[in-house]
Amino acid sequence: MPKRYDAIVIGAGHNGLVNAAYLARAGKQVLVLERRPLVGGATVTEEIIPGFKFSVFSYVISLFRPEIIRELDLPRHGLTILPLPSTLTPLPDGNYLYRDWDHYRTLREIARHSPRDAEAYDEYGRRMYFMAKAVKYLLGIVPPDPTSLRPGDLRGLFALGRHLLGLGEETLYTLTKLMTMSAADFVEEWFETEALKATLSASGIIGTFLGPRSPGTAYVLLHHYMGEIDGSFRAWGFARGGTGGIANALASAATALGVEIRCNAPVARVLVKNGAATGVALENGDEFYGKVVVSSLDPKRTFLKLVDESLLPGELVAAIRRFNIRGSSAKVNLALAAAPELACLPGNGPHLRGAISISPSIDYLERAYDEAKYGRFSSRPYLDVIIPSLIDPEMAPPGKHVMSCFVQYAPYHLREGTWEQQREALGDAVVETLAEYMPNLKDIILHRQVMTPWDIEQITGLSQGNIFQGELSLSQLFFLRPAAGWAKYRTPIRNYFQCGSGTHPGGGITGAPGKLAAGEILRRWR
Amino acid sequence: MNTLYDVLIIGAGHNGLVAAAYLARAGKRVLVLERRHTLGGVAATEEIFPGFKFDTGAGEAGLLRPEIVADLKLHRHGLEFLESPAAVFAPQPNGDSLTLWRDEASTLAEIARHSAKDAERFPAFLRLLKRLTEVLQRVMLLTPPNIAELKFEELLPWLNSGRKLRQLGRHDMMEFLRVLPMPVTEFLDEWFESEALKAVLGAAGVTGSMQGPQASGTAFVMLHQQLGAANGGFKASARVKGGMGALAAALAGAAEKHGAEIRKAAEVMRIKVENGRATGVVLAGGEEIAAKVVVSNADPRRTFLDLVGAPQLGPTFVRRVRNIRLRGTTAKMNLALRALPRFNGMPGNENCLSGHILICPGLEYLERAYDDAKYGRFSRKPYLDLVIPTLLDPGLAPAGRHIMAITMQYAPYRLRESHWENERDKLGDHIVATLAEYAPSLPDLILHRQVLTPLDYEREYGLTEGGEFHGQMGLDQLLFMRPVAGYGQYRTPVGSLYLCGAGTHPGGGVTGAPGYNAAREILRDWKKIG
Repeated sequence: MPKRYDAIVIGAGHNGLVNAAYLARAGKQVLVLERRPLVGGATVTEEIIPGFKFSVFSYVISLFRPEIIRELDLPRHGLTILPLPSTLTPLPDGNYLYRDWDHYRTLREIARHSPRDAEAYDEYGRRMYFMAKAVKYLLGIVPPDPTSLRPGDLRGLFALGRHLLGLGEETLYTLTKLMTMSAADFVEEWFETEALKATLSASGIIGTFLGPRSPGTAYVLLHHYMGEIDGSFRAWGFARGGTGGIANALASAATALGVEIRCNAPVARVLVKNGAATGVALENGDEFYGKVVVSSLDPKRTFLKLVDESLLPGELVAAIRRFNIRGSSAKVNLALAAAPELACLPGNGPHLRGAISISPSIDYLERAYDEAKYGRFSSRPYLDVIIPSLIDPEMAPPGKHVMSCFVQYAPYHLREGTWEQQREALGDAVVETLAEYMPNLKDIILHRQVMTPWDIEQITGLSQGNIFQGELSLSQLFFLRPAAGWAKYRTPIRNYFQCGSGTHPGGGITGAPGKLAAGEILRRWR
Repeated sequence: MNTLYDVLIIGAGHNGLVAAAYLARAGKRVLVLERRHTLGGVAATEEIFPGFKFDTGAGEAGLLRPEIVADLKLHRHGLEFLESPAAVFAPQPNGDSLTLWRDEASTLAEIARHSAKDAERFPAFLRLLKRLTEVLQRVMLLTPPNIAELKFEELLPWLNSGRKLRQLGRHDMMEFLRVLPMPVTEFLDEWFESEALKAVLGAAGVTGSMQGPQASGTAFVMLHQQLGAANGGFKASARVKGGMGALAAALAGAAEKHGAEIRKAAEVMRIKVENGRATGVVLAGGEEIAAKVVVSNADPRRTFLDLVGAPQLGPTFVRRVRNIRLRGTTAKMNLALRALPRFNGMPGNENCLSGHILICPGLEYLERAYDDAKYGRFSRKPYLDLVIPTLLDPGLAPAGRHIMAITMQYAPYRLRESHWENERDKLGDHIVATLAEYAPSLPDLILHRQVLTPLDYEREYGLTEGGEFHGQMGLDQLLFMRPVAGYGQYRTPVGSLYLCGAGTHPGGGVTGAPGYNAAREILRDWKKIG
C-alpha cells in the first residue's frame, strides 16, 4: 500500500511548484508529479545544442509576485534576477526609438521624435504606476461571486467596492477605460509617435488573439505593467541561467520544505470516489493517493481530460468547452556565432542588452493580426527579441550568443496545412523580418529552434499552445475565470482544486494563482 | 429684448423635441432652435426629388421608448407605426437567401432550410435575448450614478435593476455579465452553425460602429439594437407612416401643444457664458436670446468646443471631450426607382422585401469590410442594409414608383489617400455595383440617387465626424463614462447648461431616452435655477 499524501499537485510548472511550496510550508505532505523529465513547464532552460542554453518558452520575468520571492526565500535557493534595462524599437527607415532606465535620456530620446510626447510620457508613466497599484489589489484576492448572497462573497464585493471607490476619480475612470478600451485607442489618447504608440500597445496583444485596435487589449497592456510597480522604469528582468532558474529555485525551495517532486510521471487521470478526489493514476498505471488533488494544468485538461465529464455539471462542461484558449504566439530561438549588428545602431552597446521590439507602427501590428484572423501566420510578425547571453554569459560559449524571439501572430488553427508543414516557413518569416533590421543575422545563425503553438502544446501540454492557459479577455477574467461560479480554485469534485494560469489572476510568471489556490485549499482544510 | 425664456434647446433632433415636450409639459417656457429648415435632425423626411420623400438619416423608430409615445400621446399628433411581415431578407452570393419573418413559425421553417440544428436552438436564443435586453431596457430611462461620489438615492433605481438582474437567476445573470463584453462572432458561434444566420444576427452588432464583429463589446451593441424587438432575432424595427419626419412632426406637435415654440433656420453660433453660467445663445444673424437654462441636443464635441469654447472649460475636461471617439463609419444612399427590383433567391412575392434587406453573407465578410476601414478606405465589399419604405407606405413616392434607402458600412470619416469630395460618387457607383450582384435589374431602375457620406452628415446635419451616435457605443463610452467621465448626468461644467443628445446615456438610436432623462434632471434642478 503506497503512502498517502496530504496533497498531490499535477504539473511542476511555476504555479504548481508555488502551490506545492505553500502547502508544504503549512505542514502538508505534498507530492508534485511532472510529465516531462525536468521541472518548470513553460518556464524552463534547455541546452538544445551543446553550450547553448535556451529559455525555450517563457523568457522574461516581470510579474512574479515579490512576496512569493520573499516568503519562499528564493534568492537563497539560487534565484538571481538580472535587470533588462532597455527597449529598442528599430524602424524601417533606419531611425529608432530607444528607452532605458535613465529616465531623462529616455525623455530626450522621445523628444527627438516628438517634444509633445516627451512631456506626456512623464504623466503617462505616473498614471500607469497608479493604475498598476490599483489593480495589484485584484491580483491578491480571491474573486468574489457577484451573483451570490453568501456573506463571504458580499463581504468580498463590499471590500472590492470600497477599494475601487477609494482609488479617487481619475484613477477610477482610467481603470474603466483600461478594462474596456483597445490598447491603440488608449495610448493614442497620450502620444503621437508611431513607434512609441506601437511598442506600448504591443504589450496589450501579447498572448491574445486580438489586434492593438481590438477592445480589451488595454487591460492586457495594464496586466504587463504590474511588473513595473516596485522597480523603477520597466522592471522587466531575466533569471540567471534562463527562465529555468525560477523553476529550479522554486523546486529547491519546495524540496527544502519537504515536497517530493517526481519527473517523468505523466498523470493519466484523477481518481474519484463518490464525488471526491482520492488520488491520481499515472499513464503507466501507478496510483498515488492524497487527501486533495490540485491541477496546475489548463482548464481544458483539468476538467475535460483528467476527470470524467459525467462527474461535472453540464453547464460547467459547456463553459469549459467554449473557454477561449486560442494559441496565437510562437517562439524562435537562435544560436548565433557572433553578436548581431543593428542597422540603426551598429556595434555593441547597452541597446543589445535589453529588449528589441519589432513594432514600428500600430498598422504594422494590426496587419500582422489581420493575417492571423484568417488563419495564416503573420508574414511580418511582431517580435520581442532579447539576447540573454549578453546579460548572462553562461548562456552560450564565449563569443557565441543565444537569441530569443517571441513571435506573434501564429494561430494554432491554420487554414491551410499543418504546423509540421509550416514550421520552417514561420522560422524563415521571423529571420527575414529580423534581417531587415539586423543585416548580419543570416550569416551568424548556427542553429534555429522554432516553437509553433502546436509544438508548445505537444511539449508543455498547454492546450492550443496558449501561453496564458486561456485568453485574458473581459469575459474570461476575475469571477469568470475559468468559468462562472468556479473562479475560486475549487471544482465540483470534492478535494479537487485548480491552481494554474487558467484561474484568477491569469497568465504570465506571476505565481499568484498557485499561491491564492494554496490559501483557499488550506482555508478549507478539515 | 425682455421676453425671457425658461429653456432654450439647441437642435430639433428627436431628443431635443422630446426634452422640449417634457419641459413644456412641466410648464416651462421653451424655445427650440433648429439650424435647418426641416425638423428631426438625422431623423427627418425630405423630398429630395420631386414626389420622392426620403428618410435622410435614421429610417426607423423601433427603439423609441413606449413610455414617451404614451406620455406625449404621440398617436394623437399623427404618429402611426407600420409593421412589416418580414423582419429581414438576406440574399446570398450562391443565389439562395435567408428570411426572418415576424411570425416565428415561418422563421423557424426558413432557418431549418439552412440548418435544422440552428432552427432547434433559435427559440431558446430568442428567449435569452429577451431576458438580457429586458435588463438593458430598465436602465435606459435611469440617470447613471456618479460613481465618484455615490449617493444612495442615485444608486437606488440601479440597485432595483440589479435586483431585476438577480431575478434573472444566477445563471442568466452571469450570462449577462459574460456576454456584454463579448465579440458578437464568439457569442453567435456558441449558438449557431449557419453562416447566413450568424451574419444576419451579428450585423446588428456593428451598427454605427468603427469595429468589426470580432471586437469585444459588439455583443452589447447587438443587444442594444434588439431593445424592445417585438419578435427578436434581427433588430427592433418599426417604420413610421409618412417617414421619420412624421415622428418629428408628432413630437413638435406635442411640444407646441404644451406651449413650446420652435424656430427653424435659426443657427446657434455660440452659447453665452457669464461667470460660469449659460445665460443664452447668439444666433448666426447676431441675434441674442436669453434664457435661464440652455440645453444642447448637438453632440458633445460641437457643444463644448464650438458652441461654448475651450477657454470656458478646464483642460482636463477639454482633453476628455477631444478624446471622445465619434468616428462616423456609416454612409447612406437614397434611390428613386422606376419600379420594384427583384432579388436573387426571393421566395415568392415581394412580401419578403417589406422589412430590411441585408447584404452581409457572412461574419468574415463583415470583418473584412471593417479591415478596409481600419486603413482609411471604404469597404471594397460593403455591408449594406436596405429598406424599400414604399412597400408599406406607397405615399412616399409617385404611383408605381419606389424608393430605396441604403445604409452602408464601412465608410470611415477619415480617408487616408483621398477626400470624400472625390470619393462620394465612386462610393455611390460601388454600392450600386455591389447591389447589382444580388439584384441584377437594379441599375436600370434608378431614376435619381443621393449619396450621403460621413462628411455630408457633418456639414449638412452637424454630426461631428459624421458620428451618428454622437460617440461610439464602445464599453468605455457608456453609462457614467458618456459623454465623458464624471459628466454622465446630463449636467456640464457650465452652470445651467445641459446635454440632451445621443452623446449622453443611453446613447444613439431613435430612443428619445436621452431627451427624456435630461428633461427629468433639469426639472430636478429647477429650484436651484428658479
